[in-house]
Amino acid sequence: MNDTPDVTRDAPVVEVRGLSKWFGEVIAVNDLSFTIGRGVTGLLGPNGAGKSTFIKLALGLYRPSRGTLRVLGGAPRNNLDVLRRIAYCPETDHFYDNMTGFEYVYWLNRYWGMGKKDARAATESACELVRMADRMHDPIDEYSKGMRQRIKLAQCLGSRAELLFLDEPMAGLDPRGREEIFALIGRLGDEGYSVIVSSHILYEIERVTDNVVLMYNGSILARGRIHEIRDLIDEHPHTITVETPDPRALSLQLLHPGAMSVEFEEGKLTIRTRDPAACYEKLNDMVLENNGPAIKSIRCADDDLQSVFAYLVEK
Amino acid sequence: MTEEPIAAPHAVLLPPAPPERAGYFNYFRAAYGHATVMMVRRMRVVMAAVICLLPVLIPLATAFLSRDRFAQEGAVQFRMLVEHAHITMLAPLLALFFGSMLIGEDIEARNIPYVLTRPIPRSAWVLGRFGAYLTVTGTILLLSIGLTFASSTSLARFGVSATNLGILAQYSAVAVLALLGNGAVAVFLGALTKRPIIFGVLVLYGWQQLAMKVPGVIDFFTIQKYTDAMLPALASERGMQTSPAARDALLEFTREVYAVGAAKACITLLLISAVFLGLTVLVVRARQFASARAIGA
Repeated sequence: MNDTPDVTRDAPVVEVRGLSKWFGEVIAVNDLSFTIGRGVTGLLGPNGAGKSTFIKLALGLYRPSRGTLRVLGGAPRNNLDVLRRIAYCPETDHFYDNMTGFEYVYWLNRYWGMGKKDARAATESACELVRMADRMHDPIDEYSKGMRQRIKLAQCLGSRAELLFLDEPMAGLDPRGREEIFALIGRLGDEGYSVIVSSHILYEIERVTDNVVLMYNGSILARGRIHEIRDLIDEHPHTITVETPDPRALSLQLLHPGAMSVEFEEGKLTIRTRDPAACYEKLNDMVLENNGPAIKSIRCADDDLQSVFAYLVEK
Repeated sequence: MTEEPIAAPHAVLLPPAPPERAGYFNYFRAAYGHATVMMVRRMRVVMAAVICLLPVLIPLATAFLSRDRFAQEGAVQFRMLVEHAHITMLAPLLALFFGSMLIGEDIEARNIPYVLTRPIPRSAWVLGRFGAYLTVTGTILLLSIGLTFASSTSLARFGVSATNLGILAQYSAVAVLALLGNGAVAVFLGALTKRPIIFGVLVLYGWQQLAMKVPGVIDFFTIQKYTDAMLPALASERGMQTSPAARDALLEFTREVYAVGAAKACITLLLISAVFLGLTVLVVRARQFASARAIGA
């Protein structure tokens, strides 16, 4: 097999044939066969669907148990020609100890083969892009979850890699941070980069791309345009939990035709809706325009998504 | 399918592109610099330095407590300290402290995917890190040997002379080679096993000490065999004189039959180090470090 990366415009960025990966008796990815073209692609599925395992296979961190996988035309594992053209933002929150955000990004930029001066310039630009320029010299230990997420994104933006794998990049970000990352991914797509972004929240994927691969239990459940998948999912109610000091006032503002029920807890509002996009739009407007009760966090219940996928599987 | 090359993505958004193909040395320097920064910021360095500097106090204490009684033992004490403390005990200890965690720590802290998803040659990464290990541990150990030499001059009949400086240089070289050999074994264990410290203690202290005491050729499979062979002859002779007669005769016999010259020992130690570093590179290429099993979870 020729492992020289394919640089033709029409070539798929990821090509998978009968790909399986198991760890002992646990099957993480089961007989996947599909291709991903250029542009932004969403990898959607509940926790444990096999998204991260697939991404690690595509990055060459795992060896396929069976089948083949080609990224930019080459097998990725230990293939420096392929690795030179891809970048990765991991889902997990792991950093080198005793380092500032700047140092973390700088040293990882050096691993791209950059000299000191170029690595410094690339680090400053990447931190600027994720809006971390003013805090980049602070120790990572002092960062909030959202800031850690941003600095992780910065480490993969310094490379100018043409294919980016972003594993749950919006996790832990506040609504404003999410909007910025949505915009950044959108700009990357517009600029000609290919981005594979994973999430277990449909709305997040919907904000960055129309092209989605739906995974469940290690298999591909559906793939295609997001509205086709949305049509399937819309029949199933969606649960959103919002942390706010005034849940009742917030519930009045979040009323929309798809809303089915609301539940109040101390400092928390849980809303079940058939129109999550409308609900998220309202929440975003409130945050960005600052015209409602303070919103501390927004969470899409994963078990709810589990049930959506179970529902789709039954269908 | 068209064969038209893809235009480079627009340059307005992201930072300047990294070099298409950076030189091997560029990657080596990146790994070296990063590992050095990480190592010197650890509390472990302070701990290691404190432990390694303890032998410096012994000649001073000896001189302070009983100058006359130990008047002739300046040279002997320096040699004993460097052979038994620095080379036999502290070099493996530093290898355990730093060598075994050189890659093991990245696996444990789950930072290794950052490195393995970058186009750095795995050998440049391993060698760069190993270079950092040698620099940091070498500085600590050589500083300690130098200070031990200085403090030994407080004892009689031992001063700064060309002969003594020559001995100091020879011991320093052997100490660095001990760090190299023990470190290469430790870094390999760090890449291969989930508990490199435990395996390191078993190999560097348990196995080596046992094999060195058993007559025959088994000691050829230790690092200490070769570091001992490079020590100045006087010290070894002194060691022999203090041994019981039966063991003395046995050791004489094995040394006669299986003795290794300093030059051969040096080459063998370099070869052993190269083999273990090569094996480490192979392990880094072959293992799936991102898996829960690799990190022992």
